[in-house]
Amino acid sequence: MKRLLIISASFCFVVLFAQTASNLTEFKENIETQKVEAKDALKPYRYDGSKVTYFNFKTYKQTKEVEVYLFNNTDYRFSFNGKSLPNDITVQIYDEDQTITSRILLKEFSGVMGKNVVVETTELQKAYDTKKPNGGRLKRVFVSYAIPGVPGAENKTPTMKERGAMVLVMGYKM
Amino acid sequence: MTGVNLKNSLIALTLGFGLASCGNSEPEDTMNVVDTTAQDEVLTEDMFESPDVDYHLPSPLQVASIFKKSGLAYHSNITNSTANASKYTEELKQMLNFGVYSADMAYCVLNEQANEGRKYLGVITTLAEQIGMEAVFENQDLMERFDKNIEDKDSIEILMIDIHERTESYMEENDMQHQSSIHFAGAWTEGMYLGVYDYEKNKEKEGLGSQITEQMAILSNIIKGLKDPKNSGTDLGWLITDLEKIQTTFDGFASVQAYVADENATELELTEADFKTLGDLIKTLRSKIINA
Repeated sequence: MKRLLIISASFCFVVLFAQTASNLTEFKENIETQKVEAKDALKPYRYDGSKVTYFNFKTYKQTKEVEVYLFNNTDYRFSFNGKSLPNDITVQIYDEDQTITSRILLKEFSGVMGKNVVVETTELQKAYDTKKPNGGRLKRVFVSYAIPGVPGAENKTPTMKERGAMVLVMGYKM
Repeated sequence: MTGVNLKNSLIALTLGFGLASCGNSEPEDTMNVVDTTAQDEVLTEDMFESPDVDYHLPSPLQVASIFKKSGLAYHSNITNSTANASKYTEELKQMLNFGVYSADMAYCVLNEQANEGRKYLGVITTLAEQIGMEAVFENQDLMERFDKNIEDKDSIEILMIDIHERTESYMEENDMQHQSSIHFAGAWTEGMYLGVYDYEKNKEKEGLGSQITEQMAILSNIIKGLKDPKNSGTDLGWLITDLEKIQTTFDGFASVQAYVADENATELELTEADFKTLGDLIKTLRSKIINA
């Protein structure tokens, strides 16, 4: 009887694990598709790389930040794909990192869930020039993802419905 | 972790289950799924939580492209000789020189030296096989595409982007992203070396001097990447020490300190002495990297 119980419990676990593995594999495959979509939106800018930010929605707010370098005489395009987001997030782009309290917000948008949004550094530079006259050229920006708290989220053992990813693909003008 | 790794984990767990079920019955108090929970947490933490603070490093092609736009001229025979590739028997040297040769290939391609670029593609392919990234270059289609488009600079550049993208995806899928900072350290050092070499020949190139200075901004994140605990199995001590020396020397320049202190300063300009000091450190590090 004990053996039967062990076998049954283990079988259930294996089935659950297989399902989870399958879901995770599908999640990753979707991200690859979204990268391609985001890359297409960069054109005619030249692809330079991507940064996928993974997170789990929790009951409390979180922030994830990505630093991106901007070099002289070069215009950049950022393509954000939010098709792996189970809930919406807010994207904020700053001139400095989060340790600098006086940092300048250059652009903010939400409604990225299920969409692909493109941002160009020319508009970020304009915002910077307006908010900080004589600030010079932006040499890097900090892309900050404000991830809202979700009531009832599983903080310790997130399920698939809590897993999210933001795909950021970067390109530069030749 | 990838689908392959997940499958492996599943097979391992299934085998574990099979073995357990063949043995004697366990006491009831050990009939729990502790291992299951542990596995699930590991999967969750490893795969689905990016660091709170992360960064994106530019591709070797972008760096080469920016240097070229800043006036970098082509000099033959200053890149790392492809003949050195076979001397790199240590994995660290192979990884570093994978980066060095990537920068050299970009330098040649952007300067319309396709035949030289082709040689670099060959050694990059060989090194990739040695460092476990042969899948990036499998099917040999990249070399065929290179040969087919050897007269077309744009097509070769697109091919380089494909290689970069394949490498990036492969490293992400196989949980090897921590190693990308090692490749990048090699590529960064080579890019800086090429810039310094040309700048020393013609100090009138202000744009090039600015670009060398600007590339210094990346260094702190390269060092941070090298210090990733996942790299602890690789003997990176000497490399980190040399890169930190470059960083602290640069930070200590009076010109840099004045720039940081002045809120209204918009561009940093190094003195000739600063460039000389920085250039010497770059050349020393580059020699250590390319010498077997």
